[in-house]
Amino acid sequence: MSNTENKIQSDNENRKIERDSTYWRSFEELNNTPEFQKSLQTEFMSSPLREESKDEGSETDGVARRDFLKLMGASIALTSAAGCIRRPVQKIVPYNKQPEEVTVGVSNWYTSSYFDGQEGLGLLVKSREGRPVHISGNPKFPLNGNGASVKAQASLLGLYEPNRLQKPFRNLFNEKRTNKETVGVSWEELDTKVVESLQKGGVAILSGNISSPSTKAVIGDFKAGFNADHYVWEPLADDVVEAQASSYGEAVMPGFRYDKAQMIVSIDADFLGTWGPTMTNNKRFADGRRNIDKMSRLVSFDSTYSLTGANADIRFRIKPSQQFDVVMGLISEIVGKVSVSDAVKTAVAPYNGIADKLGISAEAFKKVAADLVKNQGESIVVAGGIQTKTKDSMALQVAVNYLNSILGNDGKTVVAGAGNKNLTASFAQIKNLIAKMNAGDVKTLIIYRSNPFYSLSADLGFAEALKKVPTVVYSNDKMDETAVNAHYVATDNHALETWGDSEFATGVYGIHQPLIRTMYDTRSFQLSLMTWAYMAKVGPKRIQEFETYYDYVRNLWKTEMAAKVAGGKDFESFWNGFLQEGFVGELATTGSARTFKGDVSSLKKSQSSDATFELALYPTVNIGDGTLANIGWLQELPDVVTKIVWDNYACVSIKTAEANKLREGDVIELTVGGNKLSLPTHIQPGLHDQVVAVAVGYGRTHAGDVAKGIGQNAFTLAQGGLYAGLPVEFKKTGQKIELVTTQGHDSMEGRQIVVTATNKDIQKSKDANIHRHHTWNIWSGHQYNGHKWGMAIDLNTCTGCSACMTACQSENNTAVVGKKYVMQGREMHWIRIDRYYTGDVENASAVFQPLMCQHCDNAPCETVCPVVATVHSSEGLNEQIYNRCVGTRYCSNNCPYKVRRFNWFNYAKLIEKPMHMALNPEVLVRARGVMEKCTFCVQRIKEGKNKAKIEERPLKDGDIKTACEAACPTQTIVFGDLNDENSRVAKVFKAEPRAYELLEEWYAKPSVRYQTKIKNNDQVTPKKGGGHA
Amino acid sequence: MLKRNPLVLGNKTLKDVSDDICAPIERIPSKEWMGLFLGAKGLFIFYILTIAMVISTGIGLLGVNHPVAWGTMIITFVFWVGIGHAGTLISAILFLFRQKWRTSVARSAEAMTVFAVATAGIFPLIHTGRPWLDFWLFPYPNQRGPLWVNFRSPLLWDVFAVSTYATVSSVFWIVGMIPDLATVRDRAKNAIRKKIYGALSFGWRGTAKQWSHFEMIYLVLAGLSTPLVLSVHTIVSFDFAVSQLPGWHTTIFPPYFVAGAIFSGFAMVITLMTLVRIGFPEFKNYITIDHMEVMNKIIMMTGLMVGYAYGAEFLIAWYSGNDYERYVFMNRAMGPYAWSYWIMVSCNVLVPQLFWFKKIRRSIPIMFVVSIFVNIGMWFERFVITVTSLHRDFLPSNWGQYAWSIYDTAILVGSFGMFFTIFLLYLRVLPAISIAEVKPVLNVGKEDEHHGKGH
Amino acid sequence: MAKKAIGGIAGIFLDEATTVNAATRVREAGFTKFDALSPYPIHAMEAACGIKRSPIPYVTFVAGCVGLLAALALTYYTSAVDWAINVGGKPMFSLPAFVPIMFELTVLFAALSSVGAFFYLCGIPRIDPPIIDKDITCHKFAIFIPENDVGYSADRAEKLLKDLGAVEIKKMAEY
Repeated sequence: MSNTENKIQSDNENRKIERDSTYWRSFEELNNTPEFQKSLQTEFMSSPLREESKDEGSETDGVARRDFLKLMGASIALTSAAGCIRRPVQKIVPYNKQPEEVTVGVSNWYTSSYFDGQEGLGLLVKSREGRPVHISGNPKFPLNGNGASVKAQASLLGLYEPNRLQKPFRNLFNEKRTNKETVGVSWEELDTKVVESLQKGGVAILSGNISSPSTKAVIGDFKAGFNADHYVWEPLADDVVEAQASSYGEAVMPGFRYDKAQMIVSIDADFLGTWGPTMTNNKRFADGRRNIDKMSRLVSFDSTYSLTGANADIRFRIKPSQQFDVVMGLISEIVGKVSVSDAVKTAVAPYNGIADKLGISAEAFKKVAADLVKNQGESIVVAGGIQTKTKDSMALQVAVNYLNSILGNDGKTVVAGAGNKNLTASFAQIKNLIAKMNAGDVKTLIIYRSNPFYSLSADLGFAEALKKVPTVVYSNDKMDETAVNAHYVATDNHALETWGDSEFATGVYGIHQPLIRTMYDTRSFQLSLMTWAYMAKVGPKRIQEFETYYDYVRNLWKTEMAAKVAGGKDFESFWNGFLQEGFVGELATTGSARTFKGDVSSLKKSQSSDATFELALYPTVNIGDGTLANIGWLQELPDVVTKIVWDNYACVSIKTAEANKLREGDVIELTVGGNKLSLPTHIQPGLHDQVVAVAVGYGRTHAGDVAKGIGQNAFTLAQGGLYAGLPVEFKKTGQKIELVTTQGHDSMEGRQIVVTATNKDIQKSKDANIHRHHTWNIWSGHQYNGHKWGMAIDLNTCTGCSACMTACQSENNTAVVGKKYVMQGREMHWIRIDRYYTGDVENASAVFQPLMCQHCDNAPCETVCPVVATVHSSEGLNEQIYNRCVGTRYCSNNCPYKVRRFNWFNYAKLIEKPMHMALNPEVLVRARGVMEKCTFCVQRIKEGKNKAKIEERPLKDGDIKTACEAACPTQTIVFGDLNDENSRVAKVFKAEPRAYELLEEWYAKPSVRYQTKIKNNDQVTPKKGGGHA
Repeated sequence: MLKRNPLVLGNKTLKDVSDDICAPIERIPSKEWMGLFLGAKGLFIFYILTIAMVISTGIGLLGVNHPVAWGTMIITFVFWVGIGHAGTLISAILFLFRQKWRTSVARSAEAMTVFAVATAGIFPLIHTGRPWLDFWLFPYPNQRGPLWVNFRSPLLWDVFAVSTYATVSSVFWIVGMIPDLATVRDRAKNAIRKKIYGALSFGWRGTAKQWSHFEMIYLVLAGLSTPLVLSVHTIVSFDFAVSQLPGWHTTIFPPYFVAGAIFSGFAMVITLMTLVRIGFPEFKNYITIDHMEVMNKIIMMTGLMVGYAYGAEFLIAWYSGNDYERYVFMNRAMGPYAWSYWIMVSCNVLVPQLFWFKKIRRSIPIMFVVSIFVNIGMWFERFVITVTSLHRDFLPSNWGQYAWSIYDTAILVGSFGMFFTIFLLYLRVLPAISIAEVKPVLNVGKEDEHHGKGH
Repeated sequence: MAKKAIGGIAGIFLDEATTVNAATRVREAGFTKFDALSPYPIHAMEAACGIKRSPIPYVTFVAGCVGLLAALALTYYTSAVDWAINVGGKPMFSLPAFVPIMFELTVLFAALSSVGAFFYLCGIPRIDPPIIDKDITCHKFAIFIPENDVGYSADRAEKLLKDLGAVEIKKMAEY
């Protein structure tokens, strides 16, 4: 062994023992190589389980393991050499001793998972030279499948955020308990101090929802050790779970089978955008509509303009206080058609003919009820999300449960057994905590990834209560609003640095593999708890004895979990398979109908409907509760409905705006109770005239440089956990804030862009409403032998969830330019989702259209480029040659779809370290002054072709997935080879009657086909005369 | 034959002609000239700095964006190229038509052409994203393996058209100046002056043989320049007409652009000549009211042509039945940029109608004002064509606005600094009226028996 | 056309008409190599001195053809032979698109060669040519009879020019 390596080794030994392990299995790795076996047995050097491998020379194994560790680290270090944040000692290890699963220039995919407190996702994370660069859904995962929410994908950037804390901190307070100074501390100091105060007793833990069995076990052990209390609270928590408990006796967020339902009624439940497992919901919803002959119908009663409302076949605009009326009204309509008790009959009687009061056409309302009855057992009624957090929230939920029960949906389309039992967060709990804190019963409060100082409304008095807590320990990776008020910040790892597991649906367990060794001197929350228990010598054996959380997790699975799901396999192979697959267990598809224990007859409405204006707070798809507000990708991702970026705003209806002389961007001051908030106005078509809707999650003060000064914190408008239906007043302030949208115009101006047909039209002819043009060529044209790439996009299944946009941004290193430049029309997205409003502005309905480079065979952009910087490949790709581009921008002018993006400035220079590590090494970072655009992920095409070549087999359809396709939860985007007549795209191009070319008459011959969007609303589209509409 | 007014006033002798025309070159410049020159020069330097700024920071400093990827630079490029048409037109086409009145204005008009084209030529170079790579637009043999340019691109046609036009028109201009430079040389008092003008005049002597060749080359160049001058703006118009963008993709563009070019060109000649007459009173006898009036007639005529084109565009847009086409034109007249459209119409179509009245045609102050209006109008014509077509095209989701910035203003204003700096220098160092061409027509329109002299 | 220095006699005249008339006479007197100088082109002079039509147009025509073919060759070779690549679904050799290039090069070649020919034929550029009289480029005219002309004798030439109205006679060492 050379001197250097000796030195390294000794250094390595002197260093504190590695905490979180950097071990994982590659997703592909199925062959059991000897090295692989060895590493299997030697990985518990640090744990008592090592006796397993006693038989072998454990010492050498130990060395081997440490080498392995170093090399692993080194492989990462070397490839990210520029501005590297690794410890120098690892830099000098030669790469030629690389660990077997890492090959330079070849990407590995690892299974992992993501949980944002509400939604759980099974993921595949792409790693290049040991650093994660891309996140997408795990297709095999029983819940979300392909789909990866924009937040999950963007969490990658969180790993490389410059604002991330890099070591533990301590806040020095003045007597008023306002932060005076923040100083770094060593883990040793922090641990001793924390343990001291823990030993004083009165320990409480505050966290968000926890879906990881292991984390729950650790917390459980810790609670046992220090007899602590655990309070679970989420800012976006609603009453669904509690209502389930009161109606059926089990606290669970049921699994809704939108794929099995024929009739879906959503009362302000934005299940496609922001409520529940959105990716899973998108997938199932699309599955329920893919077969256009018997597609489901979605009816939405919407008080904000939610993504679900935008996808509804029939959308009714209501105000929050009417949600309860709607449900009771529906019950009253179906009374008699289904058997209900007399008590209920009398209870719902007053709601008969409520439609008129709601300002909804009575017959339409009746039809909804009728459709529900028609589809008994095949329908879903759902309400949820903070949009429903009115005074009547509980009543609403109970009524909804009752409706589902009498319609026989429970157990069929509402499957408790496939639900998530881990979403136990409630405002009741945090209120208890605050009470206890005020009572002075809490000596030490440990807050784990929960940010009440930002997202809890002031009236609950958390801040004051906290002052009474002698020691506050905060475990998170940011110096956020709450962190600055904690004594100690036990800096947590990023999720991608931590081991873990998950249970997102009862019986379905996911693994959470770390993708990179801890970049900084941080420590996972679980390990912190373990360390403190270990130091205090309290709690069960297992929490004390393990040195790494990984060991704890593995042991938990070995000793407890495996028994449930291993199915008799020996643990090693089970564990191995678990890591490879990313999950174990079956998802319950049906359940038995539960007996409804609730009492509908006693449901009273306490929410008054007579306020002139009602507040409706809602989370957005990209920002959610604001946790990830500091990630540029999310801020620059246009809101799914309004298409506005980098801001939140007060949405008012057109009528309201006119009545109050409000123009887009006029700043109005909202007053809710005592709280005031000034926001720019956004005039939102299809909004109820008495609603003021505001997005939460903005106005972060301590999230980091990106989120600083973006929007206002609307959580401050909430009252005691109520988000909706609060009376609100507003007045013009005279200021103006430019709201920046990426959508130039909201109407299609009667052009054939998104072809929409109703189910009735489609019954008449499958290609209804498509105006076809006769086009011809004056010469034979070029031939494409070999591959000819093409894409098919089914507008009928596209929900506009925008996952493809973030996927593209991550895959292709497209720049984030910021509000100012988006305002100047300089956003860089290669794929965008256009949203057009149709119908009358009062109840405008929306359609979505993903738009990327159409790779036209007669590409207008190519003809006009003077330097041949954009040309056609032999496989039909429209290629942009960056280093030949001079930047005349003529191509952009001549592109009918305007999908080309120009590098107006040197954006690459602005990438702050270590953000550059998130760049995909397979895609060039563009220089200033060149044009760029969608390439159909040419790098993935190459990769796929090479793979097929190496495996000496022809390329199969689906081998190559573009980033957008891979991220799409609804399989709206399909990419493939048009010359392979069995490919899915070829079929669409040839056979699909709903397929049409965008701007066909311009004869650019795009390689993309769109398919008609169908509104299942039993209407008939009136024939338009003439024109190209 | 109808009696015509004398082309040169005040019974000049041959010597007077030389003296008068060479006077500005030989005397110390006036304060006014110095003032103007320093002003223009300051603006020019400011222009250079702006360009440096843009090149070093990025074209994003200007208002160009998505969807309006072309802006001030292209607009102003077309504007200046347009102006650079009158000169060659006067010296070539009017020469072929044997229009004797052209002689006294030809020289300055040509000079204006050359300088305008020079000013214009800057823009295609600096409007690119990576100006330091502009040389890639030329098909030069290289080591990068087969790597050529795209001869299908109108921009490349532009490269050839503009550079050819610049070359030929300057050659035309210089050749025409040789005999006069010889005159200046022979009048030179000091040796250096003699040397310089001696070199510039290539040792011209004025022998009968030389004159006969001279007349011939002049005829040939005139013959070549005539289709050339028509082709240049035709090809510039192809930049737009060959694209598929509604509002650009129009077959009327070539004649429409050429007419517009002549229109703006003559307007600029009027602007300059009025100034020259003020600056150098002795020129009043050579650049007479009659000359100005003729040019005003041309302005009025071309103005009508342009107006016709505006109308025709609308008619065709309606007649085509194409939604996109129709929308673009309605949007021009009524959309967010309607103001620019109506500025254009009033400046280019309405204002020149004043020239129906002889009094106005012959009033220096009025024609000066009108010519300024026409210049403004013609800049806005290009603005309307470029911006309003781009800002709302096929897919409404793309629609946007041009994000005008101070750099746009700086670039536009600065280009005038460049043009006037060069032009003022020219007035000082080169004979601003063609001596050898004026002399033969001294007697035109005087005593009838002298008719036929000269020609 | 740089000839070796030859002297001769020059007569200065003051107006166009006399000069033209004089030139005719000198030619009738049998001189062939004489030359007439004037500040501006005089059309009658060509006939008077018997100067043949300038050959420049032939140059123009040939050069133009060359330019045309050169452009055709360039566009064809680069787009269809050396680097045939699918651009916008157009044929490799998209002739209509190449017409503007061909036109421009035609004109460019023709113009520049013509000018070249003009310079050659006029014997310019020429470093300080002999000046008979500074005013010839201004308002005077001159007729020059070289000593190597047919039947040249200084006295005869001088007398002839005087008779024809020359206001001044100059003996030139070189011309």
